[in-house]
Amino acid sequence: MKANKKPFNIWNTSTLLILCIFLLFIAFPLFLVLKKSVIDPGTGQFTFEYLSKFFERKFYWITILNSFKVTVAATLLSMVIGLPLAYMMRKVKIKGSKVIEILVIISYISPPFIGAYAWIQLLGRRGVVTEFVNNLFGTQFDGIYGFAGIVLVLSLQSFPLIYLYISGALKNLDNSLNEAAESLGYSNIQRMFKIIIPLIIPTMLASALLVFMRVIADFGTPMLIGEGYRTIPVLIYTQFMSEVGGNDGFAAALCMIFIVVTLVLFLVQRIVASRFSYSMSALKPMSVEKVKGYKNILSHAFVYFVVLLAILPQLVVTFTSFLETKGGQVYTGNFSFDNYKNILFMKNTAVIWNTYKMGIIAIIIIVVLGVLISYLTVRKKNAITNILDTVSMFPFIIPGSVLGISFIFAFSDKPFVLSGTVLIMVMSFVIRRMPYTIRSSTAIIGQISPSLEEAAISLGASETKTFRKVVVPMMMPGVMAGAIMSWITVISELSSSIILYTSGTQTLTVSIYTEVIRGNYGNASAYSAILTVTSIISLLLFFKLTGKREVSV
Amino acid sequence: MSVSIIVDNVVKKFEDTTVIDKLSLQIKPGELFTLLGPSGCGKTTLLRMIIGFNSIDGGSIRIADKEVNHIPVSKRNMGMVFQNYAIFPHMSVKDNIAFGLKNRKLGKEEMEKRINDILRVVHIEKYKDRMPDKLSGGQQQRVALARAIVIHPEVLLMDEPLSNLDAKLRVEMRNAIRSIQQQVGITTVYVTHDQEEALAISDRIAVMNGGVIQQIGTPKSIYERPANIFVSKFIGTSNVMKATLKVENGEKYIQLSDTYQEKMANLKDQAKPGGTVLVSVRPQEFMINEEKVGLKGKVIRSMFLGINTHYFIELEQGEEVEVIQDADAVELIPEGATVYLKVKPTKINVFSSEDETTLIKVGGINESK
Ligand SMILES: Nc1ncnc2c1ncn2[C@@H]1O[C@H](COP(=O)(O)OP(=O)(O)OP(=O)(O)O)[C@@H](O)[C@H]1O
Ligand SMILES: [Mg+2]
Repeated sequence: MKANKKPFNIWNTSTLLILCIFLLFIAFPLFLVLKKSVIDPGTGQFTFEYLSKFFERKFYWITILNSFKVTVAATLLSMVIGLPLAYMMRKVKIKGSKVIEILVIISYISPPFIGAYAWIQLLGRRGVVTEFVNNLFGTQFDGIYGFAGIVLVLSLQSFPLIYLYISGALKNLDNSLNEAAESLGYSNIQRMFKIIIPLIIPTMLASALLVFMRVIADFGTPMLIGEGYRTIPVLIYTQFMSEVGGNDGFAAALCMIFIVVTLVLFLVQRIVASRFSYSMSALKPMSVEKVKGYKNILSHAFVYFVVLLAILPQLVVTFTSFLETKGGQVYTGNFSFDNYKNILFMKNTAVIWNTYKMGIIAIIIIVVLGVLISYLTVRKKNAITNILDTVSMFPFIIPGSVLGISFIFAFSDKPFVLSGTVLIMVMSFVIRRMPYTIRSSTAIIGQISPSLEEAAISLGASETKTFRKVVVPMMMPGVMAGAIMSWITVISELSSSIILYTSGTQTLTVSIYTEVIRGNYGNASAYSAILTVTSIISLLLFFKLTGKREVSV
Repeated sequence: MSVSIIVDNVVKKFEDTTVIDKLSLQIKPGELFTLLGPSGCGKTTLLRMIIGFNSIDGGSIRIADKEVNHIPVSKRNMGMVFQNYAIFPHMSVKDNIAFGLKNRKLGKEEMEKRINDILRVVHIEKYKDRMPDKLSGGQQQRVALARAIVIHPEVLLMDEPLSNLDAKLRVEMRNAIRSIQQQVGITTVYVTHDQEEALAISDRIAVMNGGVIQQIGTPKSIYERPANIFVSKFIGTSNVMKATLKVENGEKYIQLSDTYQEKMANLKDQAKPGGTVLVSVRPQEFMINEEKVGLKGKVIRSMFLGINTHYFIELEQGEEVEVIQDADAVELIPEGATVYLKVKPTKINVFSSEDETTLIKVGGINESK
């Protein structure tokens, strides 16, 4: 397209504006983290003191090891569950497979710490299952905490992602490849290892790395169910909380170390993704078949069991939210609406409205920025939009707790005093979600042929009019679908909200967390139920909008 | 009121590679002018320079004698039909067609009238309120055409508009395009790499290769009197053979074999005796005879197509040539049979073996310089 000669047209102006926003909310906070981690505030001198402190005491560095242990274990376990599930669902006719797909997606979109909390109710010290088993066998089982608990919760929360990815890859796998191999004399098992697995290896790696990134950055689960087993995000949070107002150099150093870890993971992911990729599109996808006998029974048993485990937390919190409690802590065994009465009438309902209000504001900003940025980086390529593109990917490597702390660093003092405001919460949501939004909007623009815009321009429309009348409406369905997914993740966000909230900006997730910590399980369940129902309704809306029973991650 | 298009020494560079270097052509008011050439020769590039999606890096383009180099696309008032149609999928047929009109501050009635008129012209009245995904390829093509011409553009540009259609529809649509273009009388630039389509649809054709115009002319002149070997091979089928030029008693002859020569009355003066020339003979310009005069050869394969028969004949001097004989000519010649081929001296073309340009005298039909 003909380059516009004017230096300050609408595109350049918006590019610069967005760049300023990113500098303020991404680059500036990150820079402060870096600075605080290596500069002694007293002397203003460069120092390695904070960074080396971490590696000197086992109390600190063990957290990296712990993080890697739980992450590797949870990733492997979620592969072990997710892969066979995806294969069976594609290959074998499972009764109720449509419902199963939706249940898997629901378990995927609900925040992991709800899982942690629900599993504590089942397998915790005073959990239903624990007590049942102990009574029955006279054992002294003390509940599933620490390593085992974290891995259980995070694998059950993560296998849906593996499932969704692999299932998508299998759908794109043309069955004629399979048939060709069969005609060349390959047996069922041989085809599995020679054709199917090699073709889905890129997807397997990609999804495993995504799980890895999510699990390692997760804060709520190890915090709730980890007890003494501390991971990096837990250490960062506790250090930061205990040092507020004091010297935050060590917290900054922890953040730096964590960023380096996620950065390395991110780069590995990039390399893997570029090294292994096949473009596949199936003319004739694999078809599900009815199988008979023990294979059929085993497949059904496996699928149902796994999905039951995955959806159990949602069932547990919904169920317990209707249980009567004594003093909010001990269940009496009767049903009642007390918990809901409590949170809706006795307590400050602002947390619910806060969640919705801040969520919606964040989504609007996300959509506007996402559409604009992807349009600029795809269609108006230049040096500045390239910078924009790169900067907008930074949040991929900033774990939520690190983002929260960096915002506190950046916006507690002049010139930008934002702490405690709605804006700082909203911007933390926006920044955390930005890379995903841009990635999906960029994919949507990629599917709009430039000749559509050229057609509009040749018919006399200006560039801005073309953008409004052709590009935006065509992007809308995809963008709205993406916005709903963003909304679901935003309202489940905990790790940066827990650092940034004040009483005026408390959200549902923060309330669930604090109620659990205080032992008010009844209220926590009611809050969780509200969050879960909101997510499920949003998900159904998403399905309606896209006309598909699939989510993009 | 139709306009002329003058492309004057235009240059197009992508980064450092020059794709088009000083290309000139003139398109007459109201004509359907085709850019024809192999893939990658710069047809699309030139078309997009005319409409303004590509900048012009040298020379000028003038529409109705007004230079348009620096006029933005949206102000050029040109209609374009895209290869992939570029129908807005979120708008109905009617809204697609109205899109360009809405920018033109027409009254509501005038707009309705124009839309209805054009729907009738392209025969899609029935689909006015349909969404584009419920239309067939040919119907989408018609919408694209209607949308481009409803704004009454000065120029209509089409880039391989038929390449996404199947063979039968392609023929149907090219007839439709031709008749609509005639009806509207709009100056049209049409891009294709399909020589048959170009011959069928155009008033005049510019044959391009490697960013350079090889020949401009009517379909008939380009087919019958190609300016060089490239054009003669690109348009239709040509058998190219070596021959020697001779002069006897002031008459020019081409010697095709030791025993066979033909008198040529239309050779240029520059054609010098004694030299080697290239003779291009179309399959129907051979005559098979049994008098044992002409080029001796053996039939190696034959194809009976009903309307005529194609023979593939290996000549004594080694070349293989394709020959077409009308179906009403006697019996099929069996494979392996020996035949003799004469050429039609008034039809065949002779090219210089040095620069491969034609040695046939310009007979008023050949415009190329
Ligand atoms: N944006 C571009 N950047 C660099 N080179 C380009 C660009 N567009 C076209 N070219 C080059 O210019 C030459 C002409 O391209 P053009 O698209 O005009 O060919 P074409 O004749 O339309 O071919 P086709 O019949 O395949 O459509 C090609 O060699 C192509 O690689
Ligand atoms: Mg082209």
